[in-house]
Amino acid sequence: MTGFAAWLQGSAVGVWTRESPSIWAYPTVLTLHTVGLGILVGANAVIDFCLLGFAPRLPIASLAPLYRFMWAGFAMNAITGVMLFASDATTKAAQPVFYIKLTLIGLALVTTAMIRTTVTRATALPSADASRASRITRLATLSLVLWAAAITAGRLMAYL
Amino acid sequence: MDGFVAWLESTTLSRAIVESRVIWPTCEIIHFIGLTLVIGIAGFFDLRLMGFMKRVPVSAARDLMPLAIAGFLLNLTTGMTFFIGKPHQYVGNVAWWAKMFFLLLAGLNAMFFETTVGARTLNLGAGDDTPRAAKIVGAVSLVSWLGVLYWGRMLPYVGSAF
Repeated sequence: MTGFAAWLQGSAVGVWTRESPSIWAYPTVLTLHTVGLGILVGANAVIDFCLLGFAPRLPIASLAPLYRFMWAGFAMNAITGVMLFASDATTKAAQPVFYIKLTLIGLALVTTAMIRTTVTRATALPSADASRASRITRLATLSLVLWAAAITAGRLMAYL
Repeated sequence: MDGFVAWLESTTLSRAIVESRVIWPTCEIIHFIGLTLVIGIAGFFDLRLMGFMKRVPVSAARDLMPLAIAGFLLNLTTGMTFFIGKPHQYVGNVAWWAKMFFLLLAGLNAMFFETTVGARTLNLGAGDDTPRAAKIVGAVSLVSWLGVLYWGRMLPYVGSAF
């Protein structure tokens, strides 16, 4: 990992993101990472809070287009995330909180995928099915907690 | 302004914020969680107002708005904490004034919506198109909130550095 991190840090992407004095380099990449986070986690939050009953009149199936926004946000953050990592790879690769963040994102994505299966099948949500309803509640809560934890870990990278 | 900044920095509260190793990072975490609520929930409503996701009933989408307001209140509180802690870092920073401009724009736009076209969108159900004025309000809101986020993130890189 150390060798890979050193190589990445010395690569053209790493050098440009870190050393370019342009406002379009590090500051803009970091800003896009925050915009992507807002889109990805924000769209997730809309679906999760809807599943938790915050908007009972909102049909869950109508929220399916939000997954396109999530993908766009995720793609933005995967790209900008690699660039930010490359800018200071040896330091970040040595930070335990970085691996915690990646793990949390992985778990959050799995939860999001599991919720999506529910959402796309939810044309006729059988409210009588109590065990299914409680499973949905648990998944939505887990999703909110995991995404908030991923944000927390990301922010802590600047402080730990 | 300099006098106000100097007075604010001399207060016990300001010193406590700066001297604590926990307050600033904790507020940063909350500020980012709050921003996802504002961008996610308000942005979702804005997109529906603009005419996207027509299967979503406008009135039902509005039911989520208290969560966006909750996110905003989290960010107002944590944002004020940052300001009280290090006011000199903000008042001389053009990015902060740009952020405040977009915040004001978002607020005035929301007030305009609530007092005028808002009422005409309340009864819109799934598949209904929104009035042109609502589309403009939605677009202005989305641009404003992204402007607030953009200039907030630019604070350390534009004007006076952190």
